[in-house]
Amino acid sequence: MDSLSDKQLLRELRLRLEERKTFEEKYNGLFSEYQLLGKRLKESEALKSHFISNITNEIVNPFSSIIGLSKSILSVEKQDWKKIVTMVAMIHSEAFNLDFQLKNIFTAAKIEAGEVQPNISKVNVKSLVQTVIDSFLVVARKMGIEIEFDYRIEFGFGKNFYYKTDSEKLKQILTNIINNAVKYSYKESKVIVSMWVEDDVLNISVQDFGTGISEKNQNLIFERFKRLDTGINSINQGHGLGLSITKSLLDLLNGTISIKSKKGEGTTFTISLPESSAVVNDLTDDDGGFFVDDGDELF
Amino acid sequence: MEYSQHFLYPSSFFTSREPYIVKTVLGSCVAVCLWDKRLHFGGINHYMLPMWNGADLASPKYGNIAIEKLLERMRSMGSRTEDLQAKVFGGGDLLSVSGESSTTKIGERNIEVAKMMLAQEKIPIVGSSLGGKRGRKIIFLTDTGEVRHKFLEKHEI
Repeated sequence: MDSLSDKQLLRELRLRLEERKTFEEKYNGLFSEYQLLGKRLKESEALKSHFISNITNEIVNPFSSIIGLSKSILSVEKQDWKKIVTMVAMIHSEAFNLDFQLKNIFTAAKIEAGEVQPNISKVNVKSLVQTVIDSFLVVARKMGIEIEFDYRIEFGFGKNFYYKTDSEKLKQILTNIINNAVKYSYKESKVIVSMWVEDDVLNISVQDFGTGISEKNQNLIFERFKRLDTGINSINQGHGLGLSITKSLLDLLNGTISIKSKKGEGTTFTISLPESSAVVNDLTDDDGGFFVDDGDELF
Repeated sequence: MEYSQHFLYPSSFFTSREPYIVKTVLGSCVAVCLWDKRLHFGGINHYMLPMWNGADLASPKYGNIAIEKLLERMRSMGSRTEDLQAKVFGGGDLLSVSGESSTTKIGERNIEVAKMMLAQEKIPIVGSSLGGKRGRKIIFLTDTGEVRHKFLEKHEI
Protein backbone atom coordinates (compact mmCIF):
# COMPACT_ATOMS: atom_id res chain seq x y z
CA MET A 1 0.00 0.00 0.00
CA ASP A 2 1.31 3.40 -0.96
CA SER A 3 1.47 5.84 1.83
CA LEU A 4 1.64 9.53 1.14
CA SER A 5 4.53 11.46 2.46
CA ASP A 6 3.79 14.40 4.70
CA LYS A 7 4.76 16.74 1.95
CA GLN A 8 2.33 15.19 -0.49
CA LEU A 9 -0.36 15.19 2.10
CA LEU A 10 0.15 18.83 2.83
CA ARG A 11 0.03 19.70 -0.82
CA GLU A 12 -3.15 17.75 -1.28
CA LEU A 13 -4.71 19.53 1.65
CA ARG A 14 -3.72 22.90 0.40
CA LEU A 15 -5.17 22.07 -2.99
CA ARG A 16 -8.45 21.02 -1.52
CA LEU A 17 -8.59 24.10 0.64
CA GLU A 18 -8.10 26.27 -2.39
CA GLU A 19 -10.72 24.37 -4.28
CA ARG A 20 -13.11 24.86 -1.44
CA LYS A 21 -12.38 28.54 -1.42
CA THR A 22 -13.23 28.94 -5.09
CA PHE A 23 -16.39 26.97 -4.58
CA GLU A 24 -17.30 29.16 -1.69
CA GLU A 25 -16.70 32.26 -3.73
CA LYS A 26 -18.83 30.90 -6.52
CA TYR A 27 -21.52 29.98 -4.05
CA ASN A 28 -21.50 33.45 -2.54
CA GLY A 29 -21.71 35.00 -5.97
CA LEU A 30 -24.62 32.80 -6.92
CA PHE A 31 -26.36 33.46 -3.65
CA SER A 32 -26.23 37.21 -4.04
CA GLU A 33 -27.41 36.83 -7.61
CA TYR A 34 -30.26 34.72 -6.35
CA GLN A 35 -31.23 37.34 -3.82
CA LEU A 36 -31.13 40.00 -6.46
CA LEU A 37 -33.40 37.94 -8.64
CA GLY A 38 -35.86 37.55 -5.79
CA LYS A 39 -35.90 41.28 -5.33
CA ARG A 40 -36.39 41.80 -9.03
CA LEU A 41 -39.26 39.40 -9.05
CA LYS A 42 -41.02 41.29 -6.31
CA GLU A 43 -40.46 44.56 -8.13
CA SER A 44 -41.73 43.03 -11.29
CA GLU A 45 -44.94 41.94 -9.59
CA ALA A 46 -45.48 45.44 -8.29
CA LEU A 47 -44.80 46.86 -11.73
CA LYS A 48 -47.27 44.49 -13.27
CA SER A 49 -50.11 45.66 -11.08
CA HIS A 50 -49.15 49.29 -11.74
CA PHE A 51 -49.14 48.52 -15.42
CA ILE A 52 -52.58 47.01 -15.36
CA SER A 53 -54.08 49.97 -13.56
CA ASN A 54 -52.23 52.37 -15.86
CA ILE A 55 -53.42 50.61 -18.93
CA THR A 56 -57.02 50.59 -17.80
CA ASN A 57 -56.93 54.37 -17.51
CA GLU A 58 -55.05 54.64 -20.74
CA ILE A 59 -57.50 52.70 -22.84
CA VAL A 60 -60.81 52.84 -21.05
CA ASN A 61 -60.84 56.61 -20.50
CA PRO A 62 -60.23 57.64 -24.11
CA PHE A 63 -62.84 55.17 -25.26
CA SER A 64 -65.42 56.51 -22.85
CA SER A 65 -64.73 60.06 -23.99
CA ILE A 66 -64.96 59.11 -27.63
CA ILE A 67 -68.23 57.31 -27.13
CA GLY A 68 -69.65 60.11 -25.01
CA LEU A 69 -68.54 62.89 -27.34
CA SER A 70 -69.75 61.22 -30.50
CA LYS A 71 -73.09 60.62 -28.87
CA SER A 72 -73.42 64.28 -27.97
CA ILE A 73 -72.48 65.31 -31.49
CA LEU A 74 -75.35 63.24 -32.77
CA SER A 75 -77.77 65.21 -30.63
CA VAL A 76 -76.34 68.69 -31.32
CA GLU A 77 -78.44 71.05 -33.42
CA LYS A 78 -77.10 71.13 -36.95
CA GLN A 79 -76.50 74.88 -37.09
CA ASP A 80 -74.37 74.75 -33.95
CA TRP A 81 -71.28 73.72 -35.88
CA LYS A 82 -68.82 75.48 -33.57
CA LYS A 83 -69.72 73.12 -30.77
CA ILE A 84 -69.33 70.21 -33.14
CA VAL A 85 -65.86 71.28 -34.20
CA THR A 86 -64.72 71.51 -30.60
CA MET A 87 -66.03 68.08 -29.84
CA VAL A 88 -64.53 66.57 -32.95
CA ALA A 89 -61.19 68.08 -31.93
CA MET A 90 -61.53 66.39 -28.56
CA ILE A 91 -62.39 63.10 -30.19
CA HIS A 92 -59.37 63.48 -32.38
CA SER A 93 -56.98 64.03 -29.51
CA GLU A 94 -58.41 61.13 -27.52
CA ALA A 95 -58.22 58.83 -30.54
CA PHE A 96 -54.71 60.05 -31.27
CA ASN A 97 -53.62 59.17 -27.77
CA LEU A 98 -55.33 55.80 -27.93
CA ASP A 99 -53.71 54.97 -31.24
CA PHE A 100 -50.31 56.00 -29.90
CA GLN A 101 -50.62 53.95 -26.72
CA LEU A 102 -51.86 50.86 -28.51
CA LYS A 103 -49.04 51.05 -31.04
CA ASN A 104 -46.57 51.24 -28.19
CA ILE A 105 -48.03 48.24 -26.43
CA PHE A 106 -47.99 46.15 -29.61
CA THR A 107 -44.43 47.21 -30.34
CA ALA A 108 -43.38 46.19 -26.84
CA ALA A 109 -44.99 42.80 -27.34
CA LYS A 110 -43.25 42.41 -30.69
CA ILE A 111 -39.88 43.38 -29.26
CA GLU A 112 -40.29 40.85 -26.49
CA ALA A 113 -41.25 38.20 -29.03
CA GLY A 114 -38.13 38.98 -31.06
CA GLU A 115 -40.16 39.90 -34.09
CA VAL A 116 -38.97 43.43 -34.68
CA GLN A 117 -36.53 43.91 -37.51
CA PRO A 118 -35.17 46.98 -39.19
CA ASN A 119 -36.82 47.81 -42.45
CA ILE A 120 -34.41 50.20 -44.09
CA SER A 121 -35.17 52.59 -46.90
CA LYS A 122 -34.18 56.07 -47.97
CA VAL A 123 -36.15 58.34 -45.74
CA ASN A 124 -36.83 62.03 -46.14
CA VAL A 125 -36.11 62.75 -42.50
CA LYS A 126 -37.10 66.38 -42.62
CA SER A 127 -40.60 65.66 -43.74
CA LEU A 128 -40.79 62.71 -41.38
CA VAL A 129 -40.04 64.93 -38.39
CA GLN A 130 -42.48 67.53 -39.68
CA THR A 131 -45.20 64.88 -39.99
CA VAL A 132 -44.66 63.75 -36.42
CA ILE A 133 -44.73 67.33 -35.16
CA ASP A 134 -47.91 68.04 -37.14
CA SER A 135 -49.61 65.06 -35.57
CA PHE A 136 -49.19 66.74 -32.19
CA LEU A 137 -50.54 70.13 -33.23
CA VAL A 138 -54.07 69.65 -31.95
CA VAL A 139 -52.93 68.24 -28.62
CA ALA A 140 -50.27 70.91 -28.22
CA ARG A 141 -52.62 73.75 -29.11
CA LYS A 142 -54.99 72.60 -26.41
CA MET A 143 -52.21 73.07 -23.86
CA GLY A 144 -50.93 76.27 -25.43
CA ILE A 145 -47.62 74.67 -26.32
CA GLU A 146 -45.75 75.70 -29.39
CA ILE A 147 -43.57 73.11 -31.12
CA GLU A 148 -40.64 74.64 -32.98
CA PHE A 149 -38.65 72.77 -35.59
CA ASP A 150 -35.04 73.86 -35.84
CA TYR A 151 -33.68 72.21 -38.99
CA ARG A 152 -29.93 72.67 -39.14
CA ILE A 153 -28.93 70.66 -42.19
CA GLU A 154 -27.78 72.78 -45.07
CA PHE A 155 -26.88 70.14 -47.58
CA GLY A 156 -28.83 67.36 -49.17
CA PHE A 157 -31.05 66.86 -52.12
CA GLY A 158 -32.77 70.16 -52.77
CA LYS A 159 -34.38 71.23 -49.55
CA ASN A 160 -34.69 67.69 -48.32
CA PHE A 161 -32.27 65.37 -46.69
CA TYR A 162 -32.47 61.67 -47.37
CA TYR A 163 -31.08 59.21 -44.88
CA LYS A 164 -31.09 55.43 -44.84
CA THR A 165 -33.03 54.31 -41.83
CA ASP A 166 -36.29 52.71 -40.74
CA SER A 167 -39.02 55.31 -41.15
CA GLU A 168 -41.71 53.60 -39.08
CA LYS A 169 -39.39 53.02 -36.14
CA LEU A 170 -37.94 56.50 -36.29
CA LYS A 171 -41.48 57.86 -36.30
CA GLN A 172 -42.35 55.85 -33.23
CA ILE A 173 -39.18 56.91 -31.45
CA LEU A 174 -39.88 60.58 -32.13
CA THR A 175 -43.55 60.29 -31.28
CA ASN A 176 -42.60 58.89 -27.90
CA ILE A 177 -40.06 61.57 -27.13
CA ILE A 178 -42.21 64.45 -28.33
CA ASN A 179 -45.20 63.00 -26.50
CA ASN A 180 -43.17 63.04 -23.29
CA ALA A 181 -42.01 66.57 -23.93
CA VAL A 182 -45.55 67.81 -24.48
CA LYS A 183 -46.91 65.81 -21.57
CA TYR A 184 -44.41 67.12 -19.05
CA SER A 185 -44.36 70.72 -20.29
CA TYR A 186 -46.01 73.51 -18.39
CA LYS A 187 -48.90 75.23 -20.10
CA GLU A 188 -48.07 78.08 -22.45
CA SER A 189 -44.52 76.98 -23.13
CA LYS A 190 -42.39 75.69 -25.95
CA VAL A 191 -40.97 72.43 -27.23
CA ILE A 192 -37.99 72.70 -29.56
CA VAL A 193 -37.16 69.90 -31.96
CA SER A 194 -33.71 70.28 -33.50
CA MET A 195 -32.05 68.19 -36.15
CA TRP A 196 -28.42 68.24 -37.26
CA VAL A 197 -25.70 66.00 -38.65
CA GLU A 198 -22.41 65.52 -36.87
CA ASP A 199 -19.71 63.14 -38.12
CA ASP A 200 -22.18 61.63 -40.58
CA VAL A 201 -24.52 60.75 -37.75
CA LEU A 202 -28.04 62.13 -37.60
CA ASN A 203 -28.95 63.81 -34.33
CA ILE A 204 -32.39 64.85 -33.25
CA SER A 205 -33.03 66.55 -29.95
CA VAL A 206 -36.29 67.41 -28.26
CA GLN A 207 -36.18 70.09 -25.61
CA ASP A 208 -38.94 71.04 -23.26
CA PHE A 209 -39.17 73.57 -20.44
CA GLY A 210 -41.26 71.46 -18.17
CA THR A 211 -40.93 69.67 -14.88
CA GLY A 212 -37.52 68.12 -15.53
CA ILE A 213 -36.07 64.97 -14.06
CA SER A 214 -33.74 64.81 -11.09
CA GLU A 215 -30.34 63.26 -11.68
CA LYS A 216 -31.15 60.31 -9.50
CA ASN A 217 -34.11 59.40 -11.64
CA GLN A 218 -32.51 59.90 -15.02
CA ASN A 219 -31.39 56.29 -15.28
CA LEU A 220 -34.63 54.87 -13.99
CA ILE A 221 -36.84 56.29 -16.68
CA PHE A 222 -35.59 53.90 -19.33
CA GLU A 223 -36.77 50.88 -17.38
CA ARG A 224 -39.98 49.30 -18.50
CA PHE A 225 -43.18 50.22 -16.70
CA LYS A 226 -41.21 52.68 -14.63
CA ARG A 227 -42.99 55.94 -14.06
CA LEU A 228 -41.87 58.58 -11.67
CA ASP A 229 -45.30 59.76 -10.71
CA THR A 230 -47.12 56.53 -10.14
CA GLY A 231 -49.99 56.23 -7.78
CA ILE A 232 -53.13 58.09 -7.07
CA ASN A 233 -51.50 61.52 -7.23
CA SER A 234 -50.30 61.04 -10.76
CA ILE A 235 -51.26 63.99 -12.95
CA ASN A 236 -50.17 62.45 -16.18
CA GLN A 237 -51.29 59.27 -17.77
CA GLY A 238 -49.01 56.68 -19.24
CA HIS A 239 -48.13 53.04 -19.07
CA GLY A 240 -44.42 53.57 -18.58
CA LEU A 241 -43.40 51.72 -21.69
CA GLY A 242 -42.54 54.67 -23.92
CA LEU A 243 -38.89 55.15 -23.14
CA SER A 244 -38.00 51.49 -22.84
CA ILE A 245 -39.54 50.95 -26.27
CA THR A 246 -37.66 53.96 -27.58
CA LYS A 247 -34.43 52.50 -26.28
CA SER A 248 -35.08 49.05 -27.72
CA LEU A 249 -35.94 50.50 -31.12
CA LEU A 250 -32.80 52.61 -31.08
CA ASP A 251 -30.80 49.52 -30.17
CA LEU A 252 -32.13 47.87 -33.27
CA LEU A 253 -30.95 50.78 -35.41
CA ASN A 254 -27.63 51.07 -33.58
CA GLY A 255 -28.68 54.43 -32.24
CA THR A 256 -28.31 55.93 -28.79
CA ILE A 257 -30.30 58.25 -26.60
CA SER A 258 -29.03 60.67 -24.03
CA ILE A 259 -30.73 62.92 -21.56
CA LYS A 260 -29.91 66.29 -20.10
CA SER A 261 -32.23 67.59 -17.47
CA LYS A 262 -32.53 69.75 -14.44
CA LYS A 263 -35.42 69.53 -12.07
CA GLY A 264 -37.74 72.44 -12.63
CA GLU A 265 -36.02 73.68 -15.76
CA GLY A 266 -36.90 71.11 -18.36
CA THR A 267 -35.44 68.20 -20.22
CA THR A 268 -33.59 67.59 -23.46
CA PHE A 269 -33.54 64.16 -25.04
CA THR A 270 -31.07 63.69 -27.87
CA ILE A 271 -31.01 60.69 -30.15
CA SER A 272 -28.07 59.83 -32.40
CA LEU A 273 -28.76 57.58 -35.31
CA PRO A 274 -26.02 56.27 -37.60
CA GLU A 275 -26.98 55.66 -41.20
CA SER A 276 -27.77 51.98 -41.63
CA SER A 277 -26.56 51.66 -45.19
CA ALA A 278 -23.50 49.47 -44.91
CA VAL A 279 -24.90 46.77 -42.71
CA VAL A 280 -28.05 46.33 -44.70
CA ASN A 281 -26.49 46.26 -48.14
CA ASP A 282 -23.70 43.93 -47.17
CA LEU A 283 -25.73 41.44 -45.37
CA THR A 284 -29.04 41.10 -47.05
CA ASP A 285 -28.36 41.00 -50.74
CA ASP A 286 -24.73 40.24 -51.36
CA ASP A 287 -24.85 36.85 -52.97
CA GLY A 288 -28.49 36.06 -53.63
CA GLY A 289 -27.93 32.48 -52.64
CA PHE A 290 -25.67 31.05 -50.04
CA PHE A 291 -21.96 31.23 -50.40
CA VAL A 292 -19.91 28.09 -50.76
CA ASP A 293 -16.35 29.22 -50.33
CA ASP A 294 -13.32 27.12 -49.78
CA GLY A 295 -12.86 29.05 -46.57
CA ASP A 296 -16.09 27.74 -45.13
CA GLU A 297 -16.07 25.37 -42.27
CA LEU A 298 -18.93 22.96 -41.97
CA PHE A 299 -20.61 22.08 -38.71
CA MET B 1 -33.79 22.01 -52.91
CA GLU B 2 -35.41 25.42 -53.17
CA TYR B 3 -34.38 27.56 -50.21
CA SER B 4 -35.89 30.77 -48.98
CA GLN B 5 -33.60 33.23 -47.27
CA HIS B 6 -33.72 34.99 -43.98
CA PHE B 7 -31.28 37.43 -42.48
CA LEU B 8 -31.32 37.10 -38.72
CA TYR B 9 -30.92 40.37 -36.88
CA PRO B 10 -29.58 40.59 -33.36
CA SER B 11 -32.20 40.23 -30.61
CA SER B 12 -34.43 38.05 -32.74
CA PHE B 13 -34.89 34.39 -33.50
CA PHE B 14 -36.18 32.31 -36.36
CA THR B 15 -37.69 28.88 -36.84
CA SER B 16 -39.23 27.24 -39.87
CA ARG B 17 -40.55 23.89 -41.05
CA GLU B 18 -39.79 25.01 -44.60
CA PRO B 19 -36.21 24.83 -45.85
CA TYR B 20 -34.62 28.17 -45.11
CA ILE B 21 -31.13 29.60 -45.35
CA VAL B 22 -30.59 31.76 -42.31
CA LYS B 23 -27.64 34.11 -42.28
CA THR B 24 -26.26 36.06 -39.44
CA VAL B 25 -23.13 37.88 -38.39
CA LEU B 26 -21.73 37.49 -34.90
CA GLY B 27 -19.27 39.49 -32.86
CA SER B 28 -19.51 39.02 -29.15
CA CYS B 29 -23.06 37.88 -29.75
CA VAL B 30 -23.90 34.21 -29.64
CA ALA B 31 -26.20 32.23 -31.90
CA VAL B 32 -27.67 28.91 -30.80
CA CYS B 33 -28.89 26.68 -33.62
CA LEU B 34 -31.30 23.96 -32.59
CA TRP B 35 -32.14 21.14 -34.95
CA ASP B 36 -34.75 18.44 -34.57
CA LYS B 37 -33.38 15.16 -35.85
CA ARG B 38 -36.79 13.51 -35.89
CA LEU B 39 -38.77 16.21 -37.72
CA HIS B 40 -35.81 17.59 -39.68
CA PHE B 41 -36.29 21.25 -39.07
CA GLY B 42 -34.52 23.84 -37.01
CA GLY B 43 -34.36 27.24 -35.44
CA ILE B 44 -31.72 29.77 -34.54
CA ASN B 45 -31.42 32.78 -32.25
CA HIS B 46 -28.95 35.64 -31.97
CA TYR B 47 -28.50 37.27 -28.60
CA MET B 48 -26.29 40.12 -27.49
CA LEU B 49 -26.11 39.87 -23.71
CA PRO B 50 -26.10 36.92 -21.33
CA MET B 51 -28.82 37.62 -18.80
CA TRP B 52 -31.94 39.70 -18.69
CA ASN B 53 -31.50 42.47 -16.14
CA GLY B 54 -35.17 42.78 -15.26
CA ALA B 55 -35.29 46.41 -16.31
CA ASP B 56 -35.42 46.42 -20.10
CA LEU B 57 -38.12 44.73 -22.11
CA ALA B 58 -37.75 40.97 -21.76
CA SER B 59 -36.60 40.54 -25.34
CA PRO B 60 -34.41 37.89 -26.98
CA LYS B 61 -31.58 40.36 -26.77
CA TYR B 62 -30.73 38.40 -23.64
CA GLY B 63 -29.39 34.86 -23.77
CA ASN B 64 -31.54 33.32 -21.10
CA ILE B 65 -34.66 34.67 -22.78
CA ALA B 66 -33.55 33.99 -26.34
CA ILE B 67 -32.77 30.34 -25.64
CA GLU B 68 -35.96 29.81 -23.70
CA LYS B 69 -38.06 31.39 -26.44
CA LEU B 70 -36.38 29.40 -29.17
CA LEU B 71 -36.99 26.18 -27.26
CA GLU B 72 -40.57 27.14 -26.57
CA ARG B 73 -41.17 27.85 -30.26
CA MET B 74 -39.58 24.58 -31.34
CA ARG B 75 -41.72 22.69 -28.88
CA SER B 76 -44.86 24.43 -30.05
CA MET B 77 -43.94 23.29 -33.54
CA GLY B 78 -43.87 19.68 -32.41
CA SER B 79 -40.33 19.12 -31.21
CA ARG B 80 -39.50 16.91 -28.29
CA THR B 81 -36.54 18.04 -26.24
CA GLU B 82 -34.82 14.68 -26.56
CA ASP B 83 -34.74 14.99 -30.36
CA LEU B 84 -32.97 18.31 -30.33
CA GLN B 85 -29.34 18.92 -30.88
CA ALA B 86 -27.52 22.21 -30.68
CA LYS B 87 -24.72 24.03 -32.43
CA VAL B 88 -23.36 27.14 -30.82
CA PHE B 89 -21.38 29.95 -32.43
CA GLY B 90 -19.93 33.35 -31.60
CA GLY B 91 -18.90 34.96 -28.37
CA GLY B 92 -15.74 36.46 -29.77
CA ASP B 93 -13.79 39.06 -27.87
CA LEU B 94 -13.74 42.02 -30.22
CA LEU B 95 -13.10 44.65 -27.63
CA SER B 96 -9.92 45.86 -29.22
CA VAL B 97 -11.98 46.73 -32.28
CA SER B 98 -15.18 48.16 -30.94
CA GLY B 99 -13.43 50.20 -28.27
CA GLU B 100 -15.81 49.20 -25.53
CA SER B 101 -14.59 49.18 -21.97
CA SER B 102 -12.90 45.95 -20.99
CA THR B 103 -14.65 45.60 -17.66
CA THR B 104 -16.80 42.71 -18.77
CA LYS B 105 -16.13 39.82 -21.05
CA ILE B 106 -19.51 39.75 -22.71
CA GLY B 107 -18.58 37.10 -25.25
CA GLU B 108 -17.43 34.64 -22.63
CA ARG B 109 -20.50 35.14 -20.50
CA ASN B 110 -22.72 34.74 -23.53
CA ILE B 111 -21.10 31.38 -24.23
CA GLU B 112 -21.46 30.28 -20.65
CA VAL B 113 -25.19 30.95 -20.64
CA ALA B 114 -25.68 28.84 -23.77
CA LYS B 115 -23.68 25.95 -22.35
CA MET B 116 -25.42 26.03 -19.01
CA MET B 117 -28.93 26.29 -20.36
CA LEU B 118 -28.41 23.56 -22.95
CA ALA B 119 -26.89 21.29 -20.32
CA GLN B 120 -29.88 21.90 -18.11
CA GLU B 121 -32.21 20.81 -20.90
CA LYS B 122 -29.88 17.92 -21.70
CA ILE B 123 -29.54 19.05 -25.28
CA PRO B 124 -26.17 17.94 -26.68
CA ILE B 125 -23.92 20.48 -28.37
CA VAL B 126 -22.81 18.66 -31.50
CA GLY B 127 -20.81 21.45 -33.08
CA SER B 128 -19.45 24.81 -32.09
CA SER B 129 -17.00 27.54 -32.85
CA LEU B 130 -16.68 29.85 -29.91
CA GLY B 131 -14.55 32.62 -28.50
CA GLY B 132 -11.49 33.92 -30.24
CA LYS B 133 -10.79 37.45 -31.34
CA ARG B 134 -12.71 37.59 -34.57
CA GLY B 135 -16.28 37.92 -35.73
CA ARG B 136 -18.08 35.22 -37.64
CA LYS B 137 -20.55 34.90 -40.44
CA ILE B 138 -22.69 31.82 -40.26
CA ILE B 139 -25.30 30.23 -42.46
CA PHE B 140 -27.77 27.80 -41.02
CA LEU B 141 -29.83 25.43 -43.12
CA THR B 142 -33.05 24.72 -41.30
CA ASP B 143 -33.81 21.44 -43.09
CA THR B 144 -30.48 19.67 -42.58
CA GLY B 145 -29.16 21.49 -39.54
CA GLU B 146 -25.95 22.16 -41.42
CA VAL B 147 -24.00 25.26 -40.50
CA ARG B 148 -21.47 26.99 -42.74
CA HIS B 149 -19.09 29.13 -40.84
CA LYS B 150 -16.52 31.68 -41.80
CA PHE B 151 -14.34 34.00 -39.76
CA LEU B 152 -14.43 37.66 -40.66
CA GLU B 153 -11.47 39.91 -40.93
CA LYS B 154 -11.39 42.43 -38.13
CA HIS B 155 -12.42 45.42 -40.19
CA GLU B 156 -15.60 43.76 -41.42
CA ILE B 157 -17.43 44.10 -38.14
